[in-house]
Amino acid sequence: MMKNIFLLLVLTLGLYEPALAVEDSYAFADPAQRVAFLELTAVLRCPMCQNQNIADSDAMIAHDMRRKVYSLLKEGKTKQEVIAYMKDRYGDFVYYKPPVTFATIWLWALPVIFIVSLMYFVIRRRSQPPEQDIDAKLKQAEAMLKQDDS
Amino acid sequence: MNKKLGLLLIPLVLFFLLVFFLFQGLFSDPRQLDSQADGKPVPGFSLPDLMDPATTYDQDVFKGEVTILNVWGVWCVTCAVEMPFLTQLRQQQDVHFVGLYFDQDLDPDFGTKTLSRVQDEVTDMLSRYGNPYQFNIFDVYRDTSLDLGVTGAPEHFLIDSQGVIRMHHIGDINERVWKTKVGPLYQQLIAEKKAAEQGLHKGDE
Repeated sequence: MMKNIFLLLVLTLGLYEPALAVEDSYAFADPAQRVAFLELTAVLRCPMCQNQNIADSDAMIAHDMRRKVYSLLKEGKTKQEVIAYMKDRYGDFVYYKPPVTFATIWLWALPVIFIVSLMYFVIRRRSQPPEQDIDAKLKQAEAMLKQDDS
Repeated sequence: MNKKLGLLLIPLVLFFLLVFFLFQGLFSDPRQLDSQADGKPVPGFSLPDLMDPATTYDQDVFKGEVTILNVWGVWCVTCAVEMPFLTQLRQQQDVHFVGLYFDQDLDPDFGTKTLSRVQDEVTDMLSRYGNPYQFNIFDVYRDTSLDLGVTGAPEHFLIDSQGVIRMHHIGDINERVWKTKVGPLYQQLIAEKKAAEQGLHKGDE
């Protein structure tokens, strides 16, 4: 029984391949262009259904963008040129990788700043053992003793 | 003592920054994208008239008139909702609407609908809800919509008399949107156009 389940698992995992969502009717003579097409449709974001890339989305705009990517690649445009073409029309939003600007630099900087400042505090704490203010404590103890006496 | 107070204040300040950030998120609309079309001239195109395909328009059709280019289709419910108001604007304030029509079912990849059927549907819809348009440009392959950065319908482009896009409004135009957002800029563009014309006349004299 156990063995069968294990076998099944191995088989299904072995069969697993990233599903190529976009097939449509796009034919490429050059396999490299086909790879570029699949990569581009995965990293370009659908402006209509905002949490899907244009490969996954079935919105009309995604259809049109796929067709555009296809025809641009056919024209011999590079991947960078296609991305620039889409950014030109739909903004930085359309590409899943945000550009580094003053507004977005914090995405990378904040975690680093957080870790560094935390390390600074921890190290400083370690190297400076808290001063024992013996005198003050003794006085306090004496006062308490006096209270007990009375 | 002061130093301790400062250290105590750090979490409080951080907390308020976080509250401010999250509070803003409550009112931000993820669909509100920065339009790339603002301030740019209308991209070049050459498209037929929807009703009379023998007539062809290009980007120069917008020169000399302040225009609201309305992206729409019969399949779009919100377009039908805003149509009576747009018609009212045309009748009462003489607003110059041009339609950029595109059809969903006329998919270049699958292509099932004939042009005459599209025309019938359009005529039917316009007779029912009112016709705000001077004419309709038929974006057959939806290329021009893509160039304009259109994400769906309805969308509106406010184009000045020089043919430059001055506002890209995603969504419908209703009374509130007209009063607060689109209307004021439209009036401003009309004023700009008049000023430019007067300037020209003065130059002539």
